[in-house]
Amino acid sequence: MAKNITIFTTNTCGYCHMVKKYLGAKGMTWDEVNLDEQPHRQAEALQLSGAMTVPVTVVTKDDDSQEVIVGYNLAKLAPAVA
Amino acid sequence: MTDVSNPVQAKHDVLIVGAGPAALTAAIYTTREDIETVLYERGVVGGLAAITDMIDNYPGFEDGIEGLKLAESLRKQAERFGAVIELGEVTAIHDEGEYKRLETTDGDKYARAVLIATGSDYKKIGVPGEETYYGRGVHYCATCDGAFYRDKTLVVVGGGNSAIQEAIFLTRFTTHIDLLVRSTIKASDVLQKDLQELVAAGKITVHLNTTTDEIVGKDKFVTSVKATKDGSPAEFTVDGVFVFVGLDPNSIFLKPTPIRLDEIGFVLTDQNLMTSMNGVFAAGDIRSGATMQIASAAGEGATAALKIREYLEGRKHPVQN
Repeated sequence: MAKNITIFTTNTCGYCHMVKKYLGAKGMTWDEVNLDEQPHRQAEALQLSGAMTVPVTVVTKDDDSQEVIVGYNLAKLAPAVA
Repeated sequence: MTDVSNPVQAKHDVLIVGAGPAALTAAIYTTREDIETVLYERGVVGGLAAITDMIDNYPGFEDGIEGLKLAESLRKQAERFGAVIELGEVTAIHDEGEYKRLETTDGDKYARAVLIATGSDYKKIGVPGEETYYGRGVHYCATCDGAFYRDKTLVVVGGGNSAIQEAIFLTRFTTHIDLLVRSTIKASDVLQKDLQELVAAGKITVHLNTTTDEIVGKDKFVTSVKATKDGSPAEFTVDGVFVFVGLDPNSIFLKPTPIRLDEIGFVLTDQNLMTSMNGVFAAGDIRSGATMQIASAAGEGATAALKIREYLEGRKHPVQN
C-alpha cells in the first residue's frame, strides 16, 4: 500500500489529469504540487524524476521507500500504488 | 470461444479503441441509442486535443476552448449517456465471427462491433540526440513541459498548425524561441498573424529552409541545436527543443492483423468507415485520408456510430478486399 502520494503537475497538463483520474477511480488521495503556482519547486521535480516534465508521481510506501513515476504510465503507476 | 462464465472475458455490443474526439463522439451516439459501449484508452482521454493549449476552430466556441476543457466536456457527455471508459491497452484484434476478440492488458474482451479510433502521436524528427535528451530538453508536449522553460530559450521545430500554436503558447514562459521550419510555414492565416505579432515583439525568430540535424547536450541536458539553414551550417544555443513535425498513426497493434493499412500505417476503410475486417470500423486521425482536424474527427465518430448501428441491426455492408 502507498502511505503517501505526491503528484507534480501544471494547469494545462492533460497527462496530469489522467494520473489524478486514475488514482481517484481507485479511491486514493494525494498531495498535489502545481508547478504553475509553485514554480520554485521545479528543481525538486527535476531532481526526483531526472526529467523536465510532468506529471511526476512520487509514491511513498509503508517502509518509507519511494517510487517515482514519470509521465502517465499505467504499467508503472498501477503496481506502484497497488 | 467466448467463456461467458469468465468475468475477465467481458462481452460488449461496441468496443471503441481510443477515447479521443472521434471515439467520444461515437460513444455519445451509440449510447444515446442504448447500444452498450465501452472505450479503451491507453493514454489521455481526449487524445491529442487534451494536450493542446487552445482550440480555436472547433465549432460552437466563439472564443476558442482549452483542449483539456473540450476533452472533459466530451468525456462527461459520453458518460452521461452511459459510455464506460476503461484505462488500458488493446494489443490485438481477432475476427471470431459474430464477436471480435480483443486482447487487452486486462485480458480478452469481446465485442460485436469495434471502432478503431486510436488517433496519432507527434512524429519524431529522427536526428542524433533526440532520443538521448528526451524529457531532458527534447519535448513533444508544450502544455505538459513548457513550464520548465520559464525565462529560458527554446527551439521549436515545425511549420504546421501544431508547431505555430504550441510556439505561441510557449512564449508565455520563454525569453526567446527560434522556430526552425524545413520549407515554408503551412499554418493557418490566423495563426500566422499571431506569429507575426510575436516575431515583431522579438519573442520568436522564424528560420525558413532550415533542417534540424542534431540536438547537442552536456551533463544530461540540451545545450544547442545544429541545423542547416539555406544550405549552410547553423547552430542555435538553447535550453530545450519542442518538436511538432507531423503525426504518426497509433496502429502498431494492427500490423499483425488482417486489417489493411496504407503505406504509412493509417487504417483503410470503405465508404461506411468499415475496415477490411467485417464489423471493425475506423474513424478520426487513424483513418487513411483523415484531415487531422478535431471537428472532422467528431464528425467521423458520429458517422461511424450510425454505420455501426446499421451493422448491428444486420444491414449488410460490403467488405472491401
